[in-house]
Amino acid sequence: MQCSDKTEVTPRAEAVEEEGRYLYGVADSGEKVSLGEIGIGGKEVYAIPYRDIGAVVHNCPAQPYRSDDQEVVEAWVMTHQKVVDAACERCGTVLPLSFDTIIKGETESSAERNVQDWLKQEYEGLKSKIEKVRGKAEYGVQVFWNPKVIVENLTRTSPEIGKLDEEIRLKPRGLAYMYRQRLEKLIKREMESKADECFKDFYTRIRKHADDIRVEKTKKAEAGLQMIMNLSCLIYKDRYTELGEELDKINQSEGFSVRFTGPWPPYSFVRGT
Amino acid sequence: MSVLDIDEKSLKHGVLGLVIALVEVIRDALRLQAMKRMEGGSLTDEEVERLGQALMDLDIAIEGIKEEQGIIESVRSVRDGLDDIVADALDRMINPERWKEEAEQRA
Repeated sequence: MQCSDKTEVTPRAEAVEEEGRYLYGVADSGEKVSLGEIGIGGKEVYAIPYRDIGAVVHNCPAQPYRSDDQEVVEAWVMTHQKVVDAACERCGTVLPLSFDTIIKGETESSAERNVQDWLKQEYEGLKSKIEKVRGKAEYGVQVFWNPKVIVENLTRTSPEIGKLDEEIRLKPRGLAYMYRQRLEKLIKREMESKADECFKDFYTRIRKHADDIRVEKTKKAEAGLQMIMNLSCLIYKDRYTELGEELDKINQSEGFSVRFTGPWPPYSFVRGT
Repeated sequence: MSVLDIDEKSLKHGVLGLVIALVEVIRDALRLQAMKRMEGGSLTDEEVERLGQALMDLDIAIEGIKEEQGIIESVRSVRDGLDDIVADALDRMINPERWKEEAEQRA
């Protein structure tokens, strides 16, 4: 739909309505299909094809989806997720795009045209990403430890820490305070090198079972736990049990726990190159 | 003319929380210096004892103020905020992956 000068001066709701295309992802299929009215706000989801790939979209106003209501936003994101899943089922491989990706139309070129131009421009890159993730899914791996348990183990196994712990009991008030600071510093250092060691060990073990890995930022954890690693793993769909078994072993170690989530559409392996 | 409507209680919490958080940061720096001198061996046992007592009294005083004024939470949130800023800056400095991400975002 073209936007005439007149609508720019007095924009009518209906005229602005279809001025953008909300993108769910890019499918490994050049078929012109409709997935039905399953989009955000019950919109019809369909594919805009270019050669042998296609953008999965719905028509929307050329402005981002915004709401102050957290629940509304969550529902939108859930729907986005469901549409990506449905598209995967229909078209095989889909490169998921993040929530609220919108291509808008301009006066001289419609939104539909802009989507096609984008597919054309990015064709090589999109195609190689599709090849990369074909037959694979993303899994999240988060490893936590309970610092209390780890510190206890350290106090038992490190002679330096054990000795200092003993000494403090015999010191007068001020000296004991200073020694306790020193003990805490020592424990902190040991914990850091232990975390480093665990990271390297777990990473090598997990790497063997994954096609690709992204190291994500660790997040704050609850219930007195600390997240020591946060990975996104790209895995062949039929090979996730192997990783599951490896993670089980880590989960069994004292003081450690693992959260294994998925399969997700490969969001983390679509951004960047 | 508009009137600034400020909740006196939350203002007090905010300002006091900020002040005490800064005092804590200074206390941490002092403690670090004390530790360095102690480990460097330039202090006698007596001096270490006095330093330790002074720092300990400071700890007790700070904890007392926080409890009395009900600002434990607001101090924590200021310090968490500072920690996050530092963690974020460090993460960006030492992880080449983040440099790449930033370069891509700019492109």
